[in-house]
Amino acid sequence: MTFLERTTDARRYRAWEGNMEADYIYTSGLAGQRFFVALRDEGRLLAARCTACGLDYLPPRIFCEECFAELTEFVPVPPEGQVASLTVAHQDRTGALASPPQVWAFVTFKGVRGGLLHRLLATPDAARPGMRVHIRVRPREARTGTIADIEGFEPARSTK
Amino acid sequence: MRVGIIGVGLTAFRPSTPEYSWKELMFEAASRAYADAGVDPRADVGSFVTCAEDYYEGFGIFDEFVPDQLGAALRPTCTVSGDGLQGLANAFMQIQTGLIEVAVVEAHSKISDVLTPIGIIEHGLDPIWNKPLGFHPYVVAGLEAAAYLRATHTPTKALDAVVSKTRRNALRNPIAAYGAAVDMDHVAASEARFEPLRSLDISGPADGAVVLVLASDRAARRLHANPVWIRGVGWASDSPSLETRDWAGATYARLAAGMAYRLAKVRRPSSEIDVAEVDDRFSYKELQHLEALGLAKSGEAGKAALRGAYAADGRLPVNISGGSLGCGNVFEATGLHRAAEVALQLRGDAGSRQIDGAKVGVAQAWRFVPSATGAVAVLGAGP
Repeated sequence: MTFLERTTDARRYRAWEGNMEADYIYTSGLAGQRFFVALRDEGRLLAARCTACGLDYLPPRIFCEECFAELTEFVPVPPEGQVASLTVAHQDRTGALASPPQVWAFVTFKGVRGGLLHRLLATPDAARPGMRVHIRVRPREARTGTIADIEGFEPARSTK
Repeated sequence: MRVGIIGVGLTAFRPSTPEYSWKELMFEAASRAYADAGVDPRADVGSFVTCAEDYYEGFGIFDEFVPDQLGAALRPTCTVSGDGLQGLANAFMQIQTGLIEVAVVEAHSKISDVLTPIGIIEHGLDPIWNKPLGFHPYVVAGLEAAAYLRATHTPTKALDAVVSKTRRNALRNPIAAYGAAVDMDHVAASEARFEPLRSLDISGPADGAVVLVLASDRAARRLHANPVWIRGVGWASDSPSLETRDWAGATYARLAAGMAYRLAKVRRPSSEIDVAEVDDRFSYKELQHLEALGLAKSGEAGKAALRGAYAADGRLPVNISGGSLGCGNVFEATGLHRAAEVALQLRGDAGSRQIDGAKVGVAQAWRFVPSATGAVAVLGAGP
Protein backbone atom coordinates (compact mmCIF):
# COMPACT_ATOMS: atom_id res chain seq x y z
CA MET A 1 0.00 0.00 0.00
CA THR A 2 1.47 3.27 -1.05
CA PHE A 3 -1.06 5.68 0.36
CA LEU A 4 -2.31 5.17 3.89
CA GLU A 5 -5.88 5.95 2.97
CA ARG A 6 -7.89 5.65 -0.20
CA THR A 7 -11.07 7.33 -1.23
CA THR A 8 -13.85 4.85 -1.90
CA ASP A 9 -16.74 7.26 -2.31
CA ALA A 10 -16.91 8.26 -5.97
CA ARG A 11 -18.98 11.34 -5.10
CA ARG A 12 -15.96 12.83 -3.37
CA TYR A 13 -13.79 12.84 -6.47
CA ARG A 14 -13.06 16.17 -8.02
CA ALA A 15 -12.29 16.82 -11.67
CA TRP A 16 -11.86 19.91 -13.77
CA GLU A 17 -12.87 19.85 -17.41
CA GLY A 18 -10.66 21.67 -19.89
CA ASN A 19 -9.14 21.47 -23.33
CA MET A 20 -5.97 22.33 -25.18
CA GLU A 21 -7.13 24.74 -27.82
CA ALA A 22 -4.74 25.00 -30.72
CA ASP A 23 -5.40 26.01 -34.30
CA TYR A 24 -3.05 25.68 -37.22
CA ILE A 25 -2.59 26.08 -40.89
CA TYR A 26 -0.60 23.27 -42.46
CA THR A 27 1.54 24.47 -45.35
CA SER A 28 1.70 21.92 -48.12
CA GLY A 29 5.26 22.87 -49.13
CA LEU A 30 6.87 23.07 -52.55
CA ALA A 31 6.04 19.52 -53.60
CA GLY A 32 2.52 19.72 -52.18
CA GLN A 33 1.98 22.98 -54.07
CA ARG A 34 2.90 21.30 -57.38
CA PHE A 35 0.70 18.30 -56.63
CA PHE A 36 -2.40 20.13 -55.45
CA VAL A 37 -2.31 22.77 -58.21
CA ALA A 38 -2.09 19.98 -60.83
CA LEU A 39 -4.90 18.13 -59.10
CA ARG A 40 -7.10 21.24 -58.93
CA ASP A 41 -6.38 22.59 -62.44
CA GLU A 42 -5.80 19.41 -64.44
CA GLY A 43 -7.38 16.70 -62.32
CA ARG A 44 -4.25 14.55 -62.43
CA LEU A 45 -1.70 13.13 -59.98
CA LEU A 46 2.00 14.04 -59.99
CA ALA A 47 4.92 12.15 -58.51
CA ALA A 48 8.39 13.52 -57.71
CA ARG A 49 11.25 11.80 -59.53
CA CYS A 50 14.64 10.88 -58.12
CA THR A 51 16.75 10.38 -61.24
CA ALA A 52 19.64 8.96 -59.19
CA CYS A 53 17.57 6.17 -57.60
CA GLY A 54 15.10 5.79 -60.47
CA LEU A 55 12.18 6.31 -58.06
CA ASP A 56 8.97 8.31 -58.52
CA TYR A 57 7.50 9.29 -55.15
CA LEU A 58 3.78 9.59 -54.42
CA PRO A 59 2.97 11.71 -52.46
CA PRO A 60 5.64 13.86 -54.06
CA ARG A 61 8.39 15.35 -51.91
CA ILE A 62 11.50 17.39 -52.61
CA PHE A 63 13.93 14.97 -51.01
CA CYS A 64 14.69 11.33 -51.73
CA GLU A 65 14.11 8.92 -48.86
CA GLU A 66 16.89 6.66 -50.18
CA CYS A 67 19.74 8.99 -51.22
CA PHE A 68 18.66 12.31 -49.65
CA ALA A 69 19.00 14.14 -52.99
CA GLU A 70 16.86 17.20 -53.68
CA LEU A 71 14.10 16.37 -56.17
CA THR A 72 12.97 18.94 -58.72
CA GLU A 73 11.37 16.86 -61.46
CA PHE A 74 7.66 16.01 -61.37
CA VAL A 75 6.09 13.31 -63.56
CA PRO A 76 2.50 12.17 -64.10
CA VAL A 77 1.26 9.09 -62.22
CA PRO A 78 -0.29 6.36 -64.42
CA PRO A 79 -4.08 6.85 -64.47
CA GLU A 80 -4.85 3.32 -63.35
CA GLY A 81 -3.81 1.93 -59.97
CA GLN A 82 -4.33 -1.25 -58.01
CA VAL A 83 -5.83 -1.77 -54.55
CA ALA A 84 -2.95 -3.00 -52.38
CA SER A 85 -5.04 -3.30 -49.25
CA LEU A 86 -8.52 -2.35 -48.09
CA THR A 87 -10.56 -2.21 -44.92
CA VAL A 88 -14.26 -1.83 -44.26
CA ALA A 89 -14.72 0.61 -41.37
CA HIS A 90 -17.82 0.27 -39.23
CA GLN A 91 -16.93 3.36 -37.21
CA ASP A 92 -16.52 6.91 -38.42
CA ARG A 93 -13.69 9.22 -37.38
CA THR A 94 -15.29 9.92 -33.99
CA GLY A 95 -15.91 6.26 -33.21
CA ALA A 96 -19.66 6.47 -33.93
CA LEU A 97 -21.30 3.72 -35.98
CA ALA A 98 -20.73 4.27 -39.69
CA SER A 99 -23.87 3.38 -41.59
CA PRO A 100 -23.35 2.36 -44.30
CA PRO A 101 -19.81 1.16 -43.55
CA GLN A 102 -16.97 3.02 -45.23
CA VAL A 103 -14.52 1.30 -47.55
CA TRP A 104 -10.94 2.64 -47.41
CA ALA A 105 -8.13 1.53 -49.66
CA PHE A 106 -4.44 1.98 -50.13
CA VAL A 107 -3.77 2.14 -53.86
CA THR A 108 -0.43 1.71 -55.61
CA PHE A 109 0.54 2.64 -59.16
CA LYS A 110 2.91 0.74 -61.43
CA GLY A 111 6.45 2.11 -61.28
CA VAL A 112 5.63 4.51 -58.42
CA ARG A 113 7.11 4.40 -54.91
CA GLY A 114 4.25 4.97 -52.48
CA GLY A 115 0.61 5.40 -53.35
CA LEU A 116 -2.51 7.05 -52.00
CA LEU A 117 -4.94 6.22 -49.23
CA HIS A 118 -8.52 7.21 -49.98
CA ARG A 119 -12.12 6.06 -50.06
CA LEU A 120 -12.94 3.16 -52.32
CA LEU A 121 -16.16 4.00 -54.14
CA ALA A 122 -17.45 0.43 -54.16
CA THR A 123 -19.69 -1.58 -51.85
CA PRO A 124 -17.92 -3.79 -49.28
CA ASP A 125 -19.01 -6.87 -51.24
CA ALA A 126 -17.56 -5.58 -54.50
CA ALA A 127 -14.29 -4.38 -52.96
CA ARG A 128 -11.37 -6.72 -53.58
CA PRO A 129 -7.64 -6.37 -53.03
CA GLY A 130 -5.90 -6.32 -56.38
CA MET A 131 -8.81 -4.61 -58.16
CA ARG A 132 -7.89 -1.95 -60.70
CA VAL A 133 -9.07 1.57 -59.92
CA HIS A 134 -8.68 5.20 -60.94
CA ILE A 135 -9.35 8.42 -59.11
CA ARG A 136 -12.67 10.19 -59.35
CA VAL A 137 -12.08 13.93 -59.00
CA ARG A 138 -14.71 16.48 -58.08
CA PRO A 139 -15.98 18.82 -60.82
CA ARG A 140 -13.45 21.56 -61.66
CA GLU A 141 -15.50 24.33 -60.01
CA ALA A 142 -15.71 22.37 -56.73
CA ARG A 143 -11.97 21.72 -56.47
CA THR A 144 -9.94 23.79 -54.00
CA GLY A 145 -6.50 22.21 -54.20
CA THR A 146 -6.63 19.71 -51.33
CA ILE A 147 -6.70 15.92 -51.07
CA ALA A 148 -10.49 16.23 -50.79
CA ASP A 149 -10.57 17.25 -54.48
CA ILE A 150 -10.43 13.50 -55.00
CA GLU A 151 -13.77 11.87 -54.14
CA GLY A 152 -12.16 8.48 -54.01
CA PHE A 153 -11.09 5.56 -56.15
CA GLU A 154 -13.60 3.94 -58.44
CA PRO A 155 -13.29 0.62 -60.23
CA ALA A 156 -11.49 1.04 -63.57
CA ARG A 157 -13.81 0.88 -66.55
CA SER A 158 -11.85 -1.95 -68.11
CA THR A 159 -12.77 -4.24 -65.21
CA LYS A 160 -16.39 -3.12 -64.80
CA MET B 1 29.84 -2.21 -18.31
CA ARG B 2 26.73 -4.24 -17.59
CA VAL B 3 23.44 -2.52 -16.78
CA GLY B 4 20.68 -4.33 -14.92
CA ILE B 5 17.11 -3.82 -13.79
CA ILE B 6 17.17 -3.84 -9.99
CA GLY B 7 13.65 -2.63 -9.23
CA VAL B 8 10.20 -3.14 -10.76
CA GLY B 9 7.12 -1.11 -9.79
CA LEU B 10 3.69 -1.42 -11.36
CA THR B 11 0.28 -0.09 -10.45
CA ALA B 12 -2.79 -2.10 -11.32
CA PHE B 13 -3.99 -1.44 -14.86
CA ARG B 14 -7.62 -0.35 -14.80
CA PRO B 15 -10.12 1.08 -17.31
CA SER B 16 -10.41 4.16 -15.09
CA THR B 17 -8.74 5.42 -11.92
CA PRO B 18 -10.96 8.21 -10.64
CA GLU B 19 -9.42 8.30 -7.18
CA TYR B 20 -5.86 9.07 -8.35
CA SER B 21 -4.43 11.95 -10.31
CA TRP B 22 -1.85 10.98 -12.92
CA LYS B 23 0.89 12.20 -10.58
CA GLU B 24 -0.36 9.91 -7.83
CA LEU B 25 -0.33 6.97 -10.24
CA MET B 26 3.34 7.71 -10.94
CA PHE B 27 4.00 8.07 -7.20
CA GLU B 28 2.52 4.65 -6.50
CA ALA B 29 4.53 2.88 -9.23
CA ALA B 30 7.69 4.70 -8.13
CA SER B 31 7.14 3.83 -4.47
CA ARG B 32 6.76 0.18 -5.41
CA ALA B 33 9.88 0.20 -7.60
CA TYR B 34 12.03 1.86 -4.93
CA ALA B 35 10.79 -0.60 -2.31
CA ASP B 36 11.56 -3.49 -4.68
CA ALA B 37 15.06 -2.18 -5.39
CA GLY B 38 15.72 -1.07 -1.83
CA VAL B 39 16.78 2.41 -2.95
CA ASP B 40 16.05 5.90 -1.67
CA PRO B 41 15.35 8.12 -4.68
CA ARG B 42 16.55 11.21 -2.79
CA ALA B 43 19.97 9.67 -2.14
CA ASP B 44 20.65 6.75 -4.49
CA VAL B 45 19.30 7.71 -7.93
CA GLY B 46 21.36 9.79 -10.35
CA SER B 47 18.91 10.31 -13.23
CA PHE B 48 15.19 10.08 -13.94
CA VAL B 49 13.78 9.41 -17.43
CA THR B 50 10.05 9.80 -18.07
CA CYS B 51 8.24 8.88 -21.27
CA ALA B 52 5.24 10.96 -22.27
CA GLU B 53 3.58 12.98 -24.98
CA ASP B 54 1.97 16.30 -24.08
CA TYR B 55 -1.23 15.53 -25.98
CA TYR B 56 -1.99 12.45 -23.89
CA GLU B 57 -1.29 14.44 -20.72
CA GLY B 58 -3.53 17.37 -21.63
CA PHE B 59 -1.00 20.09 -20.90
CA GLY B 60 2.20 21.43 -22.41
CA ILE B 61 5.85 20.82 -21.46
CA PHE B 62 5.23 17.55 -19.61
CA ASP B 63 8.80 17.32 -18.31
CA GLU B 64 8.24 20.40 -16.13
CA PHE B 65 5.56 18.46 -14.25
CA VAL B 66 7.80 15.52 -13.41
CA PRO B 67 10.20 15.78 -10.54
CA ASP B 68 8.28 15.70 -7.26
CA GLN B 69 6.19 12.55 -7.70
CA LEU B 70 9.31 10.51 -8.53
CA GLY B 71 11.52 11.86 -5.78
CA ALA B 72 13.45 13.69 -8.48
CA ALA B 73 13.26 17.32 -7.36
CA LEU B 74 16.53 19.18 -8.07
CA ARG B 75 17.97 16.12 -9.86
CA PRO B 76 18.74 15.36 -13.51
CA THR B 77 15.50 14.52 -15.35
CA CYS B 78 14.53 14.28 -18.98
CA THR B 79 11.46 13.19 -20.94
CA VAL B 80 11.52 10.94 -23.96
CA SER B 81 8.56 11.61 -26.22
CA GLY B 82 8.03 7.95 -26.94
CA ASP B 83 7.31 4.51 -25.57
CA GLY B 84 8.76 3.52 -22.21
CA LEU B 85 11.09 1.05 -23.90
CA GLN B 86 12.71 3.96 -25.74
CA GLY B 87 13.18 5.54 -22.31
CA LEU B 88 14.75 2.31 -21.06
CA ALA B 89 17.26 2.45 -23.92
CA ASN B 90 18.00 6.07 -22.97
CA ALA B 91 18.62 5.24 -19.30
CA PHE B 92 20.74 2.22 -20.32
CA MET B 93 22.98 4.54 -22.32
CA GLN B 94 23.16 7.15 -19.54
CA ILE B 95 24.56 4.49 -17.22
CA GLN B 96 26.94 3.25 -19.94
CA THR B 97 28.53 6.73 -20.05
CA GLY B 98 29.75 6.24 -16.48
CA LEU B 99 28.19 9.55 -15.46
CA ILE B 100 25.17 7.89 -13.81
CA GLU B 101 25.16 4.77 -11.63
CA VAL B 102 21.46 4.36 -10.91
CA ALA B 103 18.72 5.60 -13.25
CA VAL B 104 14.94 5.43 -13.10
CA VAL B 105 12.61 5.00 -16.09
CA GLU B 106 8.94 5.85 -15.85
CA ALA B 107 5.96 5.63 -18.21
CA HIS B 108 2.25 5.85 -17.53
CA SER B 109 -1.23 6.17 -18.97
CA LYS B 110 -4.12 8.17 -17.53
CA ILE B 111 -6.10 7.75 -20.70
CA SER B 112 -9.38 7.73 -18.75
CA ASP B 113 -8.81 11.46 -18.19
CA VAL B 114 -8.83 12.01 -21.97
CA LEU B 115 -12.34 12.68 -23.24
CA THR B 116 -11.31 12.41 -26.91
CA PRO B 117 -8.55 9.78 -27.15
CA ILE B 118 -9.36 8.86 -30.75
CA GLY B 119 -9.01 12.54 -31.66
CA ILE B 120 -5.47 12.55 -30.24
CA ILE B 121 -4.52 9.46 -32.20
CA GLU B 122 -6.03 11.09 -35.29
CA HIS B 123 -3.59 13.99 -34.82
CA GLY B 124 -0.85 11.49 -35.65
CA LEU B 125 -2.11 11.32 -39.23
CA ASP B 126 -0.49 13.52 -41.85
CA PRO B 127 -2.47 16.79 -41.74
CA ILE B 128 -2.31 17.36 -45.51
CA TRP B 129 -2.50 13.93 -47.11
CA ASN B 130 -4.46 11.76 -44.66
CA LYS B 131 -6.31 13.56 -41.90
CA PRO B 132 -8.58 15.69 -44.14
CA LEU B 133 -10.12 12.47 -45.47
CA GLY B 134 -11.83 12.04 -42.11
CA PHE B 135 -11.24 8.39 -41.29
CA HIS B 136 -10.95 6.74 -37.88
CA PRO B 137 -7.23 6.26 -37.19
CA TYR B 138 -7.78 2.51 -36.63
CA VAL B 139 -8.45 2.33 -40.38
CA VAL B 140 -4.65 2.25 -40.60
CA ALA B 141 -4.63 -0.93 -38.48
CA GLY B 142 -7.42 -2.45 -40.59
CA LEU B 143 -5.48 -1.80 -43.80
CA GLU B 144 -2.30 -3.18 -42.28
CA ALA B 145 -4.02 -6.26 -40.85
CA ALA B 146 -5.54 -7.01 -44.26
CA ALA B 147 -2.17 -6.55 -45.98
CA TYR B 148 -0.38 -8.73 -43.42
CA LEU B 149 -2.90 -11.58 -43.52
CA ARG B 150 -2.92 -11.57 -47.32
CA ALA B 151 0.85 -11.36 -47.80
CA THR B 152 1.57 -14.14 -45.31
CA HIS B 153 -1.45 -16.35 -46.13
CA THR B 154 -2.40 -16.18 -42.46
CA PRO B 155 -6.01 -17.24 -41.79
CA THR B 156 -8.21 -14.88 -39.73
CA LYS B 157 -8.69 -17.83 -37.39
CA ALA B 158 -5.10 -17.32 -36.21
CA LEU B 159 -6.21 -13.94 -34.80
CA ASP B 160 -8.97 -15.72 -32.86
CA ALA B 161 -6.29 -17.95 -31.32
CA VAL B 162 -4.14 -14.95 -30.35
CA VAL B 163 -7.00 -13.15 -28.62
CA SER B 164 -8.27 -16.24 -26.82
CA LYS B 165 -4.80 -17.23 -25.58
CA THR B 166 -3.78 -13.73 -24.50
CA ARG B 167 -6.94 -12.74 -22.66
CA ARG B 168 -6.89 -16.05 -20.80
CA ASN B 169 -3.26 -15.39 -19.84
CA ALA B 170 -4.42 -12.12 -18.29
CA LEU B 171 -6.62 -14.06 -15.85
CA ARG B 172 -3.41 -15.08 -14.08
CA ASN B 173 -2.06 -11.52 -13.92
CA PRO B 174 -3.52 -9.62 -10.96
CA ILE B 175 -2.80 -6.21 -12.53
CA ALA B 176 -4.63 -6.95 -15.82
CA ALA B 177 -7.77 -4.96 -16.66
CA TYR B 178 -9.25 -7.19 -19.36
CA GLY B 179 -8.60 -10.81 -18.40
CA ALA B 180 -11.42 -13.06 -19.62
CA ALA B 181 -12.12 -16.65 -20.61
CA VAL B 182 -12.60 -15.78 -24.25
CA ASP B 183 -13.07 -18.62 -26.76
CA MET B 184 -12.02 -18.45 -30.39
CA ASP B 185 -15.72 -18.50 -31.33
CA HIS B 186 -16.36 -15.39 -29.24
CA VAL B 187 -13.65 -13.56 -31.13
CA ALA B 188 -14.95 -14.67 -34.52
CA ALA B 189 -18.47 -13.62 -33.57
CA SER B 190 -17.52 -10.21 -32.18
CA GLU B 191 -18.65 -7.13 -34.08
CA ALA B 192 -16.83 -6.13 -37.25
CA ARG B 193 -14.90 -2.89 -36.72
CA PHE B 194 -12.10 -2.29 -39.21
CA GLU B 195 -12.23 -5.45 -41.30
CA PRO B 196 -10.62 -7.90 -40.94
CA LEU B 197 -10.41 -6.62 -37.34
CA ARG B 198 -13.35 -7.19 -35.01
CA SER B 199 -14.02 -5.59 -31.65
CA LEU B 200 -12.13 -8.33 -29.72
CA ASP B 201 -9.05 -7.89 -31.95
CA ILE B 202 -8.59 -4.39 -30.50
CA SER B 203 -7.19 -3.76 -27.00
CA GLY B 204 -9.22 -1.59 -24.65
CA PRO B 205 -7.79 1.48 -22.89
CA ALA B 206 -6.33 1.30 -19.40
CA ASP B 207 -4.69 3.57 -16.84
CA GLY B 208 -1.51 2.49 -15.13
CA ALA B 209 2.09 3.39 -14.38
CA VAL B 210 5.35 1.47 -14.62
CA VAL B 211 8.69 2.37 -13.03
CA LEU B 212 11.96 0.47 -13.42
CA VAL B 213 15.18 1.11 -11.50
CA LEU B 214 18.36 0.49 -13.52
CA ALA B 215 21.88 0.22 -12.15
CA SER B 216 25.44 -0.43 -13.26
CA ASP B 217 26.85 -3.78 -12.15
CA ARG B 218 28.98 -1.97 -9.55
CA ALA B 219 26.01 -0.09 -8.10
CA ALA B 220 23.91 -3.26 -8.15
CA ARG B 221 26.56 -5.03 -6.04
CA ARG B 222 26.76 -2.10 -3.65
CA LEU B 223 22.96 -2.12 -3.24
CA HIS B 224 22.92 -5.93 -2.78
CA ALA B 225 20.48 -6.15 -5.69
CA ASN B 226 19.60 -9.18 -7.79
CA PRO B 227 19.62 -7.65 -11.26
CA VAL B 228 18.09 -8.82 -14.51
CA TRP B 229 20.65 -7.75 -17.11
CA ILE B 230 19.80 -5.58 -20.08
CA ARG B 231 21.77 -7.46 -22.71
CA GLY B 232 20.72 -5.37 -25.68
CA VAL B 233 18.50 -2.49 -26.76
CA GLY B 234 17.48 -1.28 -30.20
CA TRP B 235 15.05 1.11 -31.80
CA ALA B 236 14.09 2.03 -35.36
CA SER B 237 11.53 3.77 -37.53
CA ASP B 238 10.14 2.83 -40.91
CA SER B 239 9.13 5.57 -43.37
CA PRO B 240 6.83 7.94 -41.47
CA SER B 241 4.42 8.32 -44.35
CA LEU B 242 1.60 5.81 -44.66
CA GLU B 243 2.22 5.74 -48.39
CA THR B 244 5.85 4.60 -48.49
CA ARG B 245 6.07 2.26 -45.51
CA ASP B 246 6.01 -1.53 -45.49
CA TRP B 247 2.34 -2.47 -44.96
CA ALA B 248 2.75 -6.22 -44.61
CA GLY B 249 5.79 -6.59 -42.34
CA ALA B 250 6.85 -4.68 -39.23
CA THR B 251 10.15 -3.38 -40.64
CA TYR B 252 10.69 -1.08 -37.64
CA ALA B 253 10.57 -4.11 -35.31
CA ARG B 254 12.91 -6.15 -37.52
CA LEU B 255 15.50 -3.36 -37.52
CA ALA B 256 15.14 -2.64 -33.79
CA ALA B 257 15.52 -6.35 -33.01
CA GLY B 258 18.57 -6.58 -35.25
CA MET B 259 20.23 -3.81 -33.24
CA ALA B 260 19.29 -5.34 -29.87
CA TYR B 261 20.35 -8.86 -30.93
CA ARG B 262 23.74 -7.56 -32.15
CA LEU B 263 24.41 -5.97 -28.79
CA ALA B 264 23.14 -9.04 -26.90
CA LYS B 265 25.04 -11.44 -29.21
CA VAL B 266 21.81 -13.30 -29.95
CA ARG B 267 22.36 -15.11 -33.25
CA ARG B 268 19.42 -17.52 -33.41
CA PRO B 269 16.58 -15.76 -31.61
CA SER B 270 14.11 -18.61 -32.17
CA SER B 271 16.29 -21.01 -30.15
CA GLU B 272 17.89 -18.55 -27.70
CA ILE B 273 14.81 -16.65 -26.45
CA ASP B 274 12.73 -18.31 -23.72
CA VAL B 275 9.90 -15.77 -23.29
CA ALA B 276 8.64 -12.92 -25.46
CA GLU B 277 6.44 -9.95 -24.72
CA VAL B 278 5.46 -8.21 -27.97
CA ASP B 279 3.07 -5.40 -28.78
CA ASP B 280 -0.40 -6.83 -29.41
CA ARG B 281 -2.60 -3.75 -29.22
CA PHE B 282 -4.27 -5.20 -32.32
CA SER B 283 -4.28 -9.00 -32.44
CA TYR B 284 -2.44 -9.32 -35.78
CA LYS B 285 0.43 -7.26 -34.34
CA GLU B 286 1.45 -10.18 -32.10
CA LEU B 287 1.98 -12.42 -35.14
CA GLN B 288 3.53 -9.69 -37.29
CA HIS B 289 5.93 -8.72 -34.50
CA LEU B 290 6.95 -12.35 -33.78
CA GLU B 291 7.93 -12.70 -37.43
CA ALA B 292 9.78 -9.36 -37.42
CA LEU B 293 11.70 -10.44 -34.30
CA GLY B 294 12.86 -13.64 -36.01
CA LEU B 295 10.87 -15.73 -33.53
CA ALA B 296 8.82 -17.20 -36.39
CA LYS B 297 9.45 -17.42 -40.12
CA SER B 298 7.40 -15.09 -42.31
CA GLY B 299 3.90 -16.53 -42.61
CA GLU B 300 4.50 -19.15 -39.90
CA ALA B 301 3.41 -17.26 -36.76
CA GLY B 302 -0.30 -17.68 -37.44
CA LYS B 303 0.01 -21.43 -37.99
CA ALA B 304 2.13 -21.76 -34.84
CA ALA B 305 -0.46 -19.75 -32.88
CA LEU B 306 -3.18 -22.15 -34.03
CA ARG B 307 -1.04 -25.07 -32.80
CA GLY B 308 -0.71 -23.42 -29.37
CA ALA B 309 3.01 -22.76 -29.77
CA TYR B 310 2.76 -19.39 -27.96
CA ALA B 311 0.77 -20.58 -24.95
CA ALA B 312 2.35 -20.82 -21.49
CA ASP B 313 3.17 -24.49 -22.12
CA GLY B 314 4.05 -23.96 -25.80
CA ARG B 315 7.39 -23.81 -27.59
CA LEU B 316 7.74 -20.07 -26.96
CA PRO B 317 5.48 -18.47 -24.33
CA VAL B 318 4.32 -15.11 -25.76
CA ASN B 319 2.53 -12.35 -23.86
CA ILE B 320 2.15 -14.40 -20.72
CA SER B 321 1.43 -11.08 -19.00
CA GLY B 322 -1.87 -11.00 -20.86
CA GLY B 323 -0.46 -8.53 -23.38
CA SER B 324 -2.31 -5.37 -24.19
CA LEU B 325 -5.37 -7.34 -25.25
CA GLY B 326 -5.66 -8.69 -21.72
CA CYS B 327 -3.99 -6.02 -19.57
CA GLY B 328 -5.26 -3.01 -21.52
CA ASN B 329 -3.66 -0.43 -23.77
CA VAL B 330 -1.54 1.73 -21.47
CA PHE B 331 -0.22 3.84 -24.36
CA GLU B 332 3.35 5.06 -23.72
CA ALA B 333 3.71 2.62 -20.79
CA THR B 334 3.08 -0.39 -23.04
CA GLY B 335 6.68 -1.35 -23.83
CA LEU B 336 7.96 -0.63 -20.32
CA HIS B 337 5.25 -2.87 -18.90
CA ARG B 338 6.51 -5.66 -21.16
CA ALA B 339 10.11 -5.14 -20.01
CA ALA B 340 8.85 -5.26 -16.41
CA GLU B 341 7.03 -8.53 -17.13
CA VAL B 342 10.10 -10.13 -18.72
CA ALA B 343 12.19 -8.98 -15.74
CA LEU B 344 9.71 -10.59 -13.32
CA GLN B 345 9.75 -13.82 -15.36
CA LEU B 346 13.57 -13.94 -15.37
CA ARG B 347 13.65 -13.27 -11.61
CA GLY B 348 11.15 -16.06 -11.00
CA ASP B 349 8.70 -13.53 -9.54
CA ALA B 350 5.82 -13.92 -12.03
CA GLY B 351 3.50 -15.71 -9.61
CA SER B 352 1.08 -18.24 -11.05
CA ARG B 353 2.07 -17.33 -14.61
CA GLN B 354 5.78 -18.09 -14.01
CA ILE B 355 7.52 -19.85 -16.92
CA ASP B 356 9.96 -22.33 -15.42
CA GLY B 357 13.58 -21.94 -16.37
CA ALA B 358 13.25 -18.72 -18.36
CA LYS B 359 16.77 -17.31 -18.78
CA VAL B 360 16.55 -14.95 -21.75
CA GLY B 361 13.56 -12.84 -22.71
CA VAL B 362 12.70 -10.19 -25.25
CA ALA B 363 10.37 -7.19 -24.85
CA GLN B 364 9.21 -5.27 -27.90
CA ALA B 365 7.34 -2.00 -28.24
CA TRP B 366 5.50 -0.19 -31.02
CA ARG B 367 4.28 3.40 -30.86
CA PHE B 368 0.72 2.49 -31.90
CA VAL B 369 -1.19 3.70 -34.94
CA PRO B 370 -0.35 5.45 -37.12
CA SER B 371 3.35 5.05 -36.27
CA ALA B 372 5.95 2.73 -37.75
CA THR B 373 8.36 3.06 -34.84
CA GLY B 374 9.43 0.47 -32.33
CA ALA B 375 11.98 -0.60 -29.76
CA VAL B 376 13.31 -3.91 -28.48
CA ALA B 377 15.14 -4.97 -25.32
CA VAL B 378 16.82 -8.32 -24.69
CA LEU B 379 16.98 -9.20 -21.00
CA GLY B 380 18.95 -11.98 -19.34
CA ALA B 381 18.74 -13.60 -15.92
CA GLY B 382 21.63 -13.10 -13.47
CA PRO B 383 24.22 -13.56 -12.08
